[in-house]
Amino acid sequence: MLTLIGRELRDNLAHLILAGSFSFCTVAIAIVTAYWGISWISLPISGIMGIILVVLYTSLGAVQMYTDRTNRVSSLLATLAATRSRILAARVLTGSLIILATLVPPLITAVAIMSLEEAPLVFYRATIAEVFATVVLTSFACYCVGLLLGWTTIKAFPVFGLLFLMALVVLLVVIKGFVLTAIVLLLLFSVACLAHVWCRFTSLPL
Amino acid sequence: MNDNPIVVDDLVKYYDGRCVLDGISLAVPRGCIYGLLGRNGSGKTTMIRILLGLEPPTRGRTLVFGEDSTRLSAKAHGRVGYVAEGHNLIQSYRVSRLISLCKGLSLHWNDEFFGHLMETFRLPMDRRVRELSAGMRAQLNLALAMAIDPELLILDDPTLGLDTVARRQFLELAIDVIQRQGRTILFSSHILGDVERIADRVGILLAGKIVVDCTLEELKDRVKKLRIIFPERVPDDLFMTEIINRQSQGREMVLTIANWNPQKRAILETFKPASCAEVPMSLEDIFIECTRPASTPALQESEV
Repeated sequence: MLTLIGRELRDNLAHLILAGSFSFCTVAIAIVTAYWGISWISLPISGIMGIILVVLYTSLGAVQMYTDRTNRVSSLLATLAATRSRILAARVLTGSLIILATLVPPLITAVAIMSLEEAPLVFYRATIAEVFATVVLTSFACYCVGLLLGWTTIKAFPVFGLLFLMALVVLLVVIKGFVLTAIVLLLLFSVACLAHVWCRFTSLPL
Repeated sequence: MNDNPIVVDDLVKYYDGRCVLDGISLAVPRGCIYGLLGRNGSGKTTMIRILLGLEPPTRGRTLVFGEDSTRLSAKAHGRVGYVAEGHNLIQSYRVSRLISLCKGLSLHWNDEFFGHLMETFRLPMDRRVRELSAGMRAQLNLALAMAIDPELLILDDPTLGLDTVARRQFLELAIDVIQRQGRTILFSSHILGDVERIADRVGILLAGKIVVDCTLEELKDRVKKLRIIFPERVPDDLFMTEIINRQSQGREMVLTIANWNPQKRAILETFKPASCAEVPMSLEDIFIECTRPASTPALQESEV
């Protein structure tokens, strides 16, 4: 499994660097805002950051599956001591690791700044958890849509259908906000996408 | 211990409504070198891909080490070495990276043997796989398949693209694997001389059906080519079962027949031939006779 995860990380180094850069920028913005009083956190910037996240994770999933399909990576791996389920599990685990690697440092930074500024963390704990869970699950849902997109042979209907689904996911968060209902819906959406990817990946010819 | 590393049971595969494999059943015993033969598009690669779980069957099942191919465990995969037709390697990887990936995903890795192979083949480690020649890719694929010390080696036209020297090297390596006790090889090739040299059992696929499945000696023993000369013209009413091919010209008839036995000889004797001589047949001759189109109406029934 570690070999498979290592391979995925190395093959998606560009995404890993982009995710790291995004994380670094977010942390930098948070620190600058907190200590120099320059208010860089505004609605347009948050919107742009949201779009970057959506594009980053959708493309990560799509690139992982597309390069597999075109380079026939899994058709080699599946003849070695690895099963298709393991190959996919390693892929999803890598994607999840990249998502967490992007989003955990800003969370830690936010919590640290709040602690240093002696904000009542107990009061904000539930809000922080909800916001973090929603952002992580939205990212994961986008990643799952990317996986589906990457494994679909280019045909207009499925591609547009998936992009429409992704737009729905993003709108869901925009409309509902960071609440439990959104978390549950995002979770269900991600599980459904993953189940579909798993079914296709384990049953189609490699 | 499973005595048949490969079992194929009533395997059927359709592609876009076209039947590629039509009820194939066979078993490859442990330690056997099985030569799978057939013309282009006869379903050899499809059968191998189904065996490895790369392709789902339409009906029937295949077992590898007693496990269903569609749910083959990583452990079972780790016991199988596979050289694919066209050498299915990750083209964008450097040779060294591909080797370390395969090593990382293997259950056993024979460093000494692999080093020996790399020394023999002299493959450039820093080049990308797509930059290698077809022959080099074949050698790399073969080295990777051999390095895991496979209990079952599946070779799908492995010598395709190799020059004569490399092909000979490959056969010697295959023989080296054979000499290790209990190793089983499923070998598909169009170079029948190679198959004849190393295989001890052969299967011939024709139009999705297996028309021959027996040992090489048995096949040579059971399929006979006879040159029969009659005193006058060839009789029109010479009928026998399991005639694979019949060609007549004047007084001479060349008859290829399966399961030649005293009863059939007795039937032939009733036509009082002037002479009847057996023509020696190589595996290639038998294969050509068995897969000859159109002029062999009895072929479908004459399974050997």
